[in-house]
Amino acid sequence: MATLLLASPAFAQDEFAAIRETLQTCTACHGDGGASKIPENPILAGQQFYYIYLQLKDFKSGARKSDIMGPLVQPLQPDQMKLLAQFFSKQKWPMIGHAAEDANVQVARRAEESAGCIGCHLGDFRGNSAVPRLAGQHPEYLKKTMLDFKNKVRTNAPAMVDLFGTFSDQDIGSLADHLASLSVYQSSQGTEIQ
Amino acid sequence: MKRSLISGLSLLLAAASVTAAEAPSAPVSQAMIDAAAKDSQNFLHTNGNYDQTRYYPATQITRANVKKLRPAWIFQTDIIESMETTPIVSNGVMYVTTSFNHVYALDAQTGTQLWHFKHNMGPITTFCCGPNNRGVFAYGDKLYMGTLDAKLLALDAKTGKQVWEQQIADPELGYSETMAPTVVDGKVLIGTNGGEYGIRGFVKAFDANSGQLLWTFNTIPENSVGVWATKDATGLDMKRDIKAEKAQLKKAGDPYKTLGGGVWQNMAVDRETGVVYFVAGNPSPDLYGAIRPGDNLYTNSLIAVDLQTGKYKCHFQYIAHDVWDLDAVSPVIIARVNDKNGKPVKGLLHGGKTGYVYVHRADDCSLIRFSDPMVSQEGRWVLPTKEGARMLPGANGGVEWSPMAIDPTQNTAYAINLHQPMTYHVEESDYPGGNKLWLGGAFKVIPGEEQSGNVTAVDYNTGKIRWQVKTPQPMIGGILATAGGVVFTGEANGWFKAYDSANGGELWRFQCGAGVNAPPASYTVGGKQYIVVAAGGNVQIDAKRGNSILAFALSE
Repeated sequence: MATLLLASPAFAQDEFAAIRETLQTCTACHGDGGASKIPENPILAGQQFYYIYLQLKDFKSGARKSDIMGPLVQPLQPDQMKLLAQFFSKQKWPMIGHAAEDANVQVARRAEESAGCIGCHLGDFRGNSAVPRLAGQHPEYLKKTMLDFKNKVRTNAPAMVDLFGTFSDQDIGSLADHLASLSVYQSSQGTEIQ
Repeated sequence: MKRSLISGLSLLLAAASVTAAEAPSAPVSQAMIDAAAKDSQNFLHTNGNYDQTRYYPATQITRANVKKLRPAWIFQTDIIESMETTPIVSNGVMYVTTSFNHVYALDAQTGTQLWHFKHNMGPITTFCCGPNNRGVFAYGDKLYMGTLDAKLLALDAKTGKQVWEQQIADPELGYSETMAPTVVDGKVLIGTNGGEYGIRGFVKAFDANSGQLLWTFNTIPENSVGVWATKDATGLDMKRDIKAEKAQLKKAGDPYKTLGGGVWQNMAVDRETGVVYFVAGNPSPDLYGAIRPGDNLYTNSLIAVDLQTGKYKCHFQYIAHDVWDLDAVSPVIIARVNDKNGKPVKGLLHGGKTGYVYVHRADDCSLIRFSDPMVSQEGRWVLPTKEGARMLPGANGGVEWSPMAIDPTQNTAYAINLHQPMTYHVEESDYPGGNKLWLGGAFKVIPGEEQSGNVTAVDYNTGKIRWQVKTPQPMIGGILATAGGVVFTGEANGWFKAYDSANGGELWRFQCGAGVNAPPASYTVGGKQYIVVAAGGNVQIDAKRGNSILAFALSE
């Protein structure tokens, strides 16, 4: 009888039960399911699992400094951080409908080609594993993040600190505008033809 | 802790998927693989044979008739992403791979899909330069493939079903696999990527039946200091600050644990002596050398080890203490070459990212000669600066991972080249922990400066360039020479071309619709010789992506 009950979908265990309370704290700022509508707060819904997990670990260790996130993640254990990352990575990325200015697109493409961004973020900036999705992220958050790398405010990705140190503020503004306008049409494992 | 993350998550994932029917493949014997250099029917090695000559013996397609080459079939995979695969053909069945570790078995005569395998990729992958895969090795009744999540898989060649998998290394520490394995005498040989993540590089041998580890050769010895070499293989001063390096060594010790030295490409196997030859890549971090004192052995080196034990035999380092990422990647070729006195000896060829073809003795790895430079050397060895220093060759080098080919009847090596001016910026950077890119700076293509490529033929007995054809874009992929007097190679703009191997005259071209950045292969089925190549573009040079395998044969 017990086996039957457990096997029934209606009685299936909530795999995220252990973090439901924590999720309420997360979604207060990052939106339902991580679909943030606040431009300064990143979209987490559909973000790469391993990237989210690494950021949580870095907030806890202090490798990524944040007066808000640092204290919030302190009580979290690795298993909880994994579950949080799994939860958000499984959600659907929300479309923000951002349109980039043509002039910015030209500047951004020149900058990204020069730096070889797609070597890690992949051709449509969908990201992969430890490398975050940038396509369709809030432009305000993207711009702040890149400037934080440039100004060594955020230092938990040394290659990005080094790279953005070579970019002008104009390049960074154009990149944020352009990247926020991009869409991803495929799964995380290649451009699978539908 | 890291292990538990990987294994814990694997429980959440679905099984790897396989679609469709059986391939009518016969087992591939060791005798068949040993005879590959004279086999005009199959294509059993990524680089043609254990000597890695990429010289195909079939003569149906010649410089006289290659203009009649037409598409026989085109197969489209499910993955539109960078393609670096070499098709392997065994008994009329072709095996190709795509980015993200899909494998397809095709009827080599018709292009009909027989089965499709999709690797059950773990959630943690840490790789550089695209989610590529360069192919499988067929041995016995199995296929072997390395994966982005640093596993070695054995598949049933008939059905595509997975037989076993073995974790090669920890992807959380920066390890990944894109190279095709080489299998010999029941040993599956495979290296590792990760020179951009602070790995400790290796070549490992696994048992082909069970997947058990047999031996490991660490490309970075515990004493990586070397002889404090001040000049590179061509005799140029590398402007090292030896005094500062010695002070750093005294202060921080040998940096061997995170020193890089990935092995990106297949190894050559000398079947007479049982010696395995390969090259090891750049030290970590790529640009910031102050943190890693010494010659950084055996990065940027040709290395020889014993096939049975993995024990060190000899090495030759091209660049000690590299801070330009001009490392050693393109596969080693075994060939008869003339020594310094003109006497024929067993030799080794390597196309360096420096843009030279290096010629060595096989018995002790020593350098016999280096070729004329195939690309501009105007920036060597400008040290990277905080502001950015202009460099040529750029970070993709003069010859990237692209395999060369040789025509032993003409003593000629064929290479494809890149001309990409870049700026090199250096920044102080401590080891960030394996799962984050660690370059110690940045290299950037210089906007507005002309980029280009070459197809170059080098006489390896003199080092002189015999001919060179300029292409409008930098070249990455590979090249094939045939006994019909033709060399085949593709370009980022989608053109796949045939050249006269004697003089570089263009004989034929076909527009493939996406970047042709993969090594071509050839085979014969039903009395007809085919040339086959993948057109999927490339991440590193951002060549237009595609998903095609194209097979060509002479029109009736």
